[in-house]
Amino acid sequence: MAGSDLFTGSLDILILKSLNWGPLHGYAIGKWIRQWTTEVLPVQEGALYPALHRMERKGLLEEEWGVTETNREAKFYRLTREGRKQLKTDVIRWKTYAQVMSRALAAAQP
Amino acid sequence: MSRRFRFGPRAKDIDADVRREIEAHLEQRAKEFEREGMSLEQARNAALTAFGDREEIEAKVRALRDTTVRQQRRRLWFDDIRLDTRMALRSLLKSPTFTVVALLTLGLGIGANTAVFSVLRSVILRPLPYPDSDRLVQIWTDHRARGRAEPEWLTPPQYEAYVSQNRTFEFVAGYQGWGPNLTGEGNPEAIAGGAVSADFLNVLGVPPALGRGFLPSDDDPNAEQVVILSDALWKRRFNADPKILEAGIQLNGEIWTVIGVMPESFHPPQQWEILRTLRLPSPNPCGHGCIVMQAIGRLQPGVTVAQAQVDLQAITERMTAEAPQEYEGVGSWLVPLHDQVTGPVRPALFALFGAVLFVMLLACVNLASLMLVRAGSRGREFGLRAALGAGRGRIVRQLLTESLVLAVMGGLVGLMMGWIGTRVLARMIPSGIQSVQQIRPDGIVVAFTVGLALLAGVVFGIVPALQTARADLMGVLRTAHAQGSRRLGVLRRGLVAAELAIALVLLVGAGLLLRTFLSLQQTDLGFRTDGIVTAGIFFTPARYQVIERVDGALDDLLQGLRAHPSVSAVEVADIPPLAPGGDQDMTLLADGLLPPDGQRPSGIWFRRVSHGYLSLLGVQLLEGRLFGPEDRMGTERVAVITRETARRLWPTQDAVGRFATTSTDPEATRVRIIGVIGDLRHDGPMVPIKPQVFLSLEQFRTRGATLLLTPENDRGAAIGALRSTLNEIDADMPLVGITSLDERYAAATQLPRYFATILSAFAAAALLLSVIGVYGMMAYSVSQRRQEIGVRLALGARPEGVLTLIMGEGARLALLGLGAGIVLAALSTRLLQANLYGVGKFDVPTFAVVSLILVASALLACWIPARRAGAVDPVIALREE
Repeated sequence: MAGSDLFTGSLDILILKSLNWGPLHGYAIGKWIRQWTTEVLPVQEGALYPALHRMERKGLLEEEWGVTETNREAKFYRLTREGRKQLKTDVIRWKTYAQVMSRALAAAQP
Repeated sequence: MSRRFRFGPRAKDIDADVRREIEAHLEQRAKEFEREGMSLEQARNAALTAFGDREEIEAKVRALRDTTVRQQRRRLWFDDIRLDTRMALRSLLKSPTFTVVALLTLGLGIGANTAVFSVLRSVILRPLPYPDSDRLVQIWTDHRARGRAEPEWLTPPQYEAYVSQNRTFEFVAGYQGWGPNLTGEGNPEAIAGGAVSADFLNVLGVPPALGRGFLPSDDDPNAEQVVILSDALWKRRFNADPKILEAGIQLNGEIWTVIGVMPESFHPPQQWEILRTLRLPSPNPCGHGCIVMQAIGRLQPGVTVAQAQVDLQAITERMTAEAPQEYEGVGSWLVPLHDQVTGPVRPALFALFGAVLFVMLLACVNLASLMLVRAGSRGREFGLRAALGAGRGRIVRQLLTESLVLAVMGGLVGLMMGWIGTRVLARMIPSGIQSVQQIRPDGIVVAFTVGLALLAGVVFGIVPALQTARADLMGVLRTAHAQGSRRLGVLRRGLVAAELAIALVLLVGAGLLLRTFLSLQQTDLGFRTDGIVTAGIFFTPARYQVIERVDGALDDLLQGLRAHPSVSAVEVADIPPLAPGGDQDMTLLADGLLPPDGQRPSGIWFRRVSHGYLSLLGVQLLEGRLFGPEDRMGTERVAVITRETARRLWPTQDAVGRFATTSTDPEATRVRIIGVIGDLRHDGPMVPIKPQVFLSLEQFRTRGATLLLTPENDRGAAIGALRSTLNEIDADMPLVGITSLDERYAAATQLPRYFATILSAFAAAALLLSVIGVYGMMAYSVSQRRQEIGVRLALGARPEGVLTLIMGEGARLALLGLGAGIVLAALSTRLLQANLYGVGKFDVPTFAVVSLILVASALLACWIPARRAGAVDPVIALREE
């Protein structure tokens, strides 16, 4: 998968999170991810789209053509109820994972 | 092809969609780079680089998008179906009369079909309950070349030759009937059983569940007497006690050892409950002259019945050299065991199945017609929906869904009706057949019903649906009289004529069967049956070692009964009239008149009877006298013959006073003919008249006998007297099958009676359905033509004229249906041929009466709408425009 340099699954959860406050189009989602990850995570921008469509197929997202704030045509994505549930469980999973990992990696003894 | 009928997402659309999405992204990203100070071109390139391999990503997205769209469509399709079903239910609920009529029609059709198919499947289509049962055959002797139409039994040497010389059978087994009297604990009981050769169970391929089967050594006349019990007998009489094995039970006063018990599922074709071995003495004293054996065989794998037939035929022909008089012109006659068992009901069941399919067809036609009317009257509804954007495909689908919903509901009603119908129909099948081929619905029957319901739904749904689709929906919206409705009218008229034709076929069939039944009832049996009770007794050799002892016991019994106040008269015969199966014949020659060379004298069916038997039965005495007290043991042996016997033995002379012998042997028994009586149909109205001779029971003894008894007034009291008198004489003797001649007669004519009744019911249903069809169509037609009629009346036509006009239209339709029906009926009565007695398949009175009924019913159905047409008020009718 393109963007495989990202930790597996992190792109999906970022997408879900970006849609937490309402529908966004693909570009805006990408921009949100870049901002909030301070471009530390080197995502190839195109990799976003297969991920979006995969999640749509799973029923996590819904798409709809709409008009952007700058009056351009764009495809908007919205969380489904499934998606919102997924986000909740993923966040808990990631937080636990990150805590455990950082505690382990900060270990001072063998 | 138009877009409506395309399935799957449109590749071009998806492609454009994906491209647009990616392009929008790239444009915005480039704008961002521009804001950061890049030139237009630099910004575009930077956006592309940041994006990655555009082609590859687009391809990936396209693939994903494709499956997503497919999924969505499928979901939409299911949603549509759910919606259609809900709409269909709602719309059916809105017209309850239509729905109830449709459901009843469909339920009736499907129910009748399920019932008939269920019986057909259980009895005919299902193989017999034995392993590889298609290899089982019944072995008969063919005497047709000698003038005997029925298949005959075998002689012991013939049976032995078949066993030892055949090359086509795995096993051949011989058997004879055996009805031992079971005594010991409990009431004495006569058990239906068989004396079989050791291979009998090998032929059927079913070993005992408990104990062992017969061994060849058991078949030796000097071996220990052993029996095998049926599961039912074991449970009924011995409490399913496994210790019965190797224990003795008492049969006919002797001890027999039980060596095995058959499985519960085992039902031999002869419905026996107990088996013993044949134990034929060798050499057999009863040689080529005795036709006393029956045989069944199991063919070797891969051998056909025809091959086995050739094999046994050759063996029979070789026997001609040994005993030419017995075997000249005699052949072998093999019948697959399945045909043998189910043969009696096969033609009736197939004919019923044909009839019931017609009823189903009728139900479908009627429903299609109903749906057409409904569709016609809903023209505006569909027009409106089309105007609001519903595609034609969508409307067709909704109509089809509606008919399928109706069909599924009708199928459920039908399944219930079928369940009841199966029970009713099962009464038509003789219990002997049912004990082997048990009638029970199975998965195939249910599948048949479901299939029938769905097929019906499509058949009666598709025509109106397509018609509606073809009609100009917008046109329908504008006016009620679109072109479509005219085409619809022609189609409906055709359907109704077809209905009448089908109804006629069934009416003809029912008519022919009713005539058959009537002609059976009118057939003079030659003797009376009313009020005569019959019961069988048997004097066992164990208790009555010498046959003379039978005389005393029988005398005591008869005298005791005659003295009893509740018994009016009692007589005895070795075989009673109307006995199902089993008759006996003997050679009888006119003394001094030898039969022509090489020709075997035809057998004469004989019965041994007590003196008053013939007068009790009220036979017609033509010449001479009946038996009297003087005809007893020790006096001259005498015989009473029927007219047919007299005609055969003395074609040109008076028979009374002449002598007849049982063979040309000078030592043979001679009898003097003392009387000639009218011909009797001892086997019931369907069996042709046979030549018969009656002998005096006192001069020719028998161990097995049937008492014929007329009660003084109460049947129960007479039977009670019979039991108590018998008990005084021999407490161990069972009474077998207490019944009456009337009941025996009813049993003998059971099949034609039920068959006629059931087919009549189907025909009545068919007539009703088609009359409803005619009425519905005419009523609709009149309602559609109110304005035309109004104009006619306004222009001076008289109401009677309008009435004649409408009736004429109905009459044309009825005649069309009648013509087609007569042709169809003439083609299909062949199906019934095997079930007709005393009436031809083109019986003109039947055709005429039935045609009259059909036309009269059709015209009656037109009368009501026609009168309504005549009563149209032109002012009101014209104002409606």
